[in-house]
Amino acid sequence: MSLLKVENISKSFKTLQVLYNVSLEVKPGERHVIIGPNGAGKTTLFNCITNLLPIDSGSIYLDGKEISKLSPHHLVHLGMSRTFQKNNLFGDLTVEENLHLALVAKKSYRYNIFSPLASRSDIKKETNRILDQWEISSRRHIKVKNLSYGEQRLLEVLLAMASNPKILLLDEPTSGMSPAETAQTSEMIQKLPRSIALVVIEHDMEVVFAIADRITVLHHGEVILSGSPEEVRNNEMVKEIYFGGGAKQHA
Amino acid sequence: MSIFLAQLLTGLAYGMLYFMIAAGLTIILGVMNVVNLAHGTLFMLGAYIVFTFISDELNFWIALLISVLLTAVLGIILEKLLIKHVYGKELEQVLLTFGLSFIIADVVKWIWGTEMQTLPVPALLDASLSIGEMVFPLYRLFVVFIGCLLALLLWYLESKTRIGAIIRAGVDDRAMVGALGINVGLVFTGVFAFGAALAGLSGALGGPLIGMYTGMDNEILVTSLIVVVIGGLGSWKGSFISAILVGVIETFGKVWFPSLSMLIVFLIMMVVLIIRPQGLFGREVA
Amino acid sequence: MKKIFIYTVLLILLVLAMPLVLSDFGINLATEIYIMSIFAMSLGLIMGYAGMVSLGHAGFFGIGAYTVAVIGQYVSNSYLLLLISVVISGLTALITGVVFIRTSKFYFLMITLAFGQLLYVLFWQLKPWTGGADGMSVSAILNLGFGEILSPNAFYYVMGVAFIIAYILLRLFVESPAGKITKGIMENEARMSALGYNVRVYKLLAYTLSGALAGFAGSLYSYFNVFVSPDLSSWTFSGQVMVMVIIGGVGTLFGPAIGASVFICLQNFISTYTERWPMIMGAILVILVLIGKGGIIHWLRYFKDIIFLRKQTDEGAPQNQVKKEEVVN
Repeated sequence: MSLLKVENISKSFKTLQVLYNVSLEVKPGERHVIIGPNGAGKTTLFNCITNLLPIDSGSIYLDGKEISKLSPHHLVHLGMSRTFQKNNLFGDLTVEENLHLALVAKKSYRYNIFSPLASRSDIKKETNRILDQWEISSRRHIKVKNLSYGEQRLLEVLLAMASNPKILLLDEPTSGMSPAETAQTSEMIQKLPRSIALVVIEHDMEVVFAIADRITVLHHGEVILSGSPEEVRNNEMVKEIYFGGGAKQHA
Repeated sequence: MSIFLAQLLTGLAYGMLYFMIAAGLTIILGVMNVVNLAHGTLFMLGAYIVFTFISDELNFWIALLISVLLTAVLGIILEKLLIKHVYGKELEQVLLTFGLSFIIADVVKWIWGTEMQTLPVPALLDASLSIGEMVFPLYRLFVVFIGCLLALLLWYLESKTRIGAIIRAGVDDRAMVGALGINVGLVFTGVFAFGAALAGLSGALGGPLIGMYTGMDNEILVTSLIVVVIGGLGSWKGSFISAILVGVIETFGKVWFPSLSMLIVFLIMMVVLIIRPQGLFGREVA
Repeated sequence: MKKIFIYTVLLILLVLAMPLVLSDFGINLATEIYIMSIFAMSLGLIMGYAGMVSLGHAGFFGIGAYTVAVIGQYVSNSYLLLLISVVISGLTALITGVVFIRTSKFYFLMITLAFGQLLYVLFWQLKPWTGGADGMSVSAILNLGFGEILSPNAFYYVMGVAFIIAYILLRLFVESPAGKITKGIMENEARMSALGYNVRVYKLLAYTLSGALAGFAGSLYSYFNVFVSPDLSSWTFSGQVMVMVIIGGVGTLFGPAIGASVFICLQNFISTYTERWPMIMGAILVILVLIGKGGIIHWLRYFKDIIFLRKQTDEGAPQNQVKKEEVVN
């Protein structure tokens, strides 16, 4: 049984059709990578799945439950979480405070208006655990806007994971990174526990083949192939679109 | 029946006044992203300028022209001197235009006092049109005519001219207009002056209908804001429809529920917002 | 937290000590400042902690004031009357807020302005109950269980205590989970939604609390001024409170209170010399905008930093040392 099932969704902006009958299946724990040239509709697909954009037609199931009409915050509570292509953090807050904000989302006292958040010991404990696990304890009091770009990307993922999701959507986790940072991030993604299914939009083919169990190729808003890394690597059409053009990326 | 039609005409005339002032407000908002809280005082200023020149035995039409020109020039000065410093800064805009509205309103009070005044209907139009037993004051018909003319002009400017294309592009994508090598500063000054002139024009035309009194600037500002909200941000077409709607409903409201006319208009706004949070003709915000 | 506690104690001492040095006129002025500070802090809450710029907040102030004036003719218990004021203004905020907060920022500004003006017109037009444009005098007398409050000094202490309580409640809210989340939503709404927060609930919560507190300030004003008029809900009054918030400092709790003090003192001072206060106020606003950002509280902090040569709290340039060893692989 698939964890996330996207069935024939379409989306257009005014006269511009961005997604045509896109379907996708993700199994529990699977690493599913979405590739495709710029403008293929990858980020729009994420926005539709998380209902930041309403879909025109089709359906989306999470654990067999139709979710296409549920609001973004509701989806988090059902176990689906995401990151954004551009860093989307709270720049004036410290690393620790960013994590606090993310962690409170699942607490029953998130509507409490009287007792200070700072005095909650469970939040502190969980924050420390995350900081230790990812070896960034020394950075805890730094304002996020003063972190390096790579650190911000990492924090972006950590915030999304704070809700303890079953499935995590990562929108270009390595975009804008130096080769060193990219390698680091690729490794981090591979370290994520298998209890979380990942759907990753990624451009860097090295990263794609390092993490993918399954790859879906999106082109002009249509799925042209969904299969194992081997199938994708050997597919003529994909070669044409992706590797045929000027870019000399190789796996 | 004849009373009903006469009321309808009054409502339409008011609606057209609201349209003229709201059009300026909404174009400034759409193109420059500025809420001009001093817009109501420009309306008031327009009426008082005509008042002064008529008192000097000047023809109404010449006085009206002077009023429109002066408010346009004031618009240019305000934009060049002050408004241009606050683009993109919402709080500063509010503070600045709020301060300006205080200054202008106080200047008006200083020069013209707090007594209630009226503008005479211009001699040429001080007559009524009789169709059967129905009587329509010519001046109201004239105001409706001017309002429609303005709508036509805006339509022409928007869809048939280069300047309209630039402004439409500006509404959709600010950066692009700059990239096209168009002098954005000049466009903004022009738009602001145009909006100010419209406020002046509607004040001048509105003088004979609603008179001049302390607090009129606030009343007109609030009504035109409601018109803009119902019509949709930056859409003059929306303002046209909603101005007529508000003018007519308000006029009938005053007849049927004298003490609740404002409430009715406000409730209409709430209903529109519940159904369409971006207004009737507003762009959808993702 | 400790710093906040010390500040609060200092504030209480200041409020208690002021009558020792003030004249009767000063005491009256200070009393008015406390009331206006509560009002300004209520607006400062949604402006600085929820990113909602309202130009209709005087509407809630007017509701509170007229509740005491009108219902006070039939209800004499001050606690009950204050409670009714707070509940009515809070409920009004809740109901209108459901519609208002769905809109974008410019819309919110314009709609709240229209809302305040609506109440202004209603108070004006419902003459049989409100006295219309002439306003009405307030017959209810403040009595909190230890005698009727009539003397300037008694009013001073009551309003001073009310101010401190309002400040502490707001401080608690700002530090609470809901307060922190609301602030997060102001910074980045889409992200908070993606983290699993129902952003509308928090915005509505802040708006409701703010409206209720503004109503509370209005009801205190009603007792203090013994006269209410539609002007209490006019949008120019809303605008003036916004000015207090902005000149005091948006994004801080106490800034709006400082702004209210400065504004009211200036108003009183200048009005004794000239009738042209509106023009002067307008000019001050224009100048404030032109000379730059921030409110008084930001300037105070800036001077404090210079005087005490404080080290900047942020560490300088970004450092990239996390897991360097992994890069080598």
